[in-house]
Amino acid sequence: MNFLLNCGIMLPQLLKGLLVTLKFFTMTIVLALPLGLLVSLGRITKFKPLKWLTGIYVWVMRGTPLLLQLFFVYYGLSMLGILKLEDFQAGLLAFTLNYAAYFAEIFRAGIQSIDKGQHEAAKALGFGYGKTMLFIIIPQMIKRTLPPVTNETINLVKDTALVAVIAIEDLLSNAKGIVSSKGDVTAYLLAAVIYLMITLVLTIIFKKVEKHYNISDGDQLLAH
Amino acid sequence: MKKTRKLTALVLMLAIAVTCVFAGCGKNASTDSKSAESTATKNAVDDSFTKVQTKGTVVIGVDDEFPPMGFKDDSGNIVGFDIDFAKAACEKLGIKAEIKKISWDAKEMELSTGKIDMIWNGYTITDERAKKVLFSKPYLENNQVIMVAANSPIKSKTDLAGKKVGLQKESSAQDALTSDEATYKAIGEDNVKKYPTNVEAFMDLKVGRVDAVVVDEVVANYQATKDKGQFIVLKDSLAKEQYGVGFRKEDKALRDKFQGAIDSLIKEGKTAEISTKWFGTDIVMK
Repeated sequence: MNFLLNCGIMLPQLLKGLLVTLKFFTMTIVLALPLGLLVSLGRITKFKPLKWLTGIYVWVMRGTPLLLQLFFVYYGLSMLGILKLEDFQAGLLAFTLNYAAYFAEIFRAGIQSIDKGQHEAAKALGFGYGKTMLFIIIPQMIKRTLPPVTNETINLVKDTALVAVIAIEDLLSNAKGIVSSKGDVTAYLLAAVIYLMITLVLTIIFKKVEKHYNISDGDQLLAH
Repeated sequence: MKKTRKLTALVLMLAIAVTCVFAGCGKNASTDSKSAESTATKNAVDDSFTKVQTKGTVVIGVDDEFPPMGFKDDSGNIVGFDIDFAKAACEKLGIKAEIKKISWDAKEMELSTGKIDMIWNGYTITDERAKKVLFSKPYLENNQVIMVAANSPIKSKTDLAGKKVGLQKESSAQDALTSDEATYKAIGEDNVKKYPTNVEAFMDLKVGRVDAVVVDEVVANYQATKDKGQFIVLKDSLAKEQYGVGFRKEDKALRDKFQGAIDSLIKEGKTAEISTKWFGTDIVMK
């Protein structure tokens, strides 16, 4: 009973942090997915300068630690006098740029895995590049890239904990504060449970989405 | 097909071997601390000092971004007033000092889990902390002060109302501010930004993302002197404090031995020397 009472006292502060975590998470996904798609198109374009530019972008974003990118966007840019962002904006920018790069590679692989036959058929029907992409290729790509996208999305939930380094109080940083002031590690446990709940919800959602895309494959006839 | 199978098996075995080597390296450290803890609870006799003596080293936890008490010099060595002080005390007791950088917001956990043997880095004595750690006698007096940019309109504690205030997470600056209920309320909880270190709080003060930083007087004066003309330290004190060295609650013998060393150093004038080196004058409590 005492244990539950203890947890109850910690909960309000943890939930406050959870709100911040969720805010970062949802806004990053909303921005990084479209950006990633655009960059992936840039990676496969015949226009060499764009291909080269997006290549460098992906290399830099994947090749440096997200933590370093956070420091650079928040402290680095402001100390160099280039750009001074508020903490939330800086965090969002760093996360979006970083995750868009990963999504870009996932989408690129997805697009390139669709066989030429689809492109040829679209051409035969008189579809231009834009229409082909929009109506034929990308819808198919979505189905193929769902597993890796699920992976990255779940990764993002946990990566949001990094914002503590730019003085943003998210779920984990609040848990740390409680542990440090109470000297009792229950707050870590609660935080872990909350993260697991978020992951569970996301996994269920993605499973449903995958199922929807698999309808045409007749999988619904198989027992799960 | 057979060749790739053999190759895969070889790579896997290599990976497992490498992992074992790393695990082996880590194991020694954890088994040492485990046996140390069990002997501590078994023995009614306080062997906290004799243990350290046998080992030959004592681990001192510091925040390496807290100038001038503990910080990194250009060559990457951790230096500072507390570092010199601690090293002198260890020398007196005939043991080596191992200076370990820790996350300041986890300092008491580092101490209680045995990763460090004491906290010696501008560690303010508070009632809350005294419940968790065993303190030495206070050796330095300190104030929690407010630092602002040179051209700031903020001239006193009351001017902080509605402004953005930065401080170090889980520091006594945080305690001082939250205890000053009137000021804290006037500022507003959401306007208080908690940084992992003071250095980062100063960076944000420089670019104006926070309007003021609450920090220890010794640190504020050091920073204001270093960055000549950029900062002003206000006269208002949010709290008067004292620094002490923190030990585990059960390590009475260790604390007593170190207290003895500290007392001798003060009597011999060695601490006055160290204090003058870092602060220009002797501010150590007698």
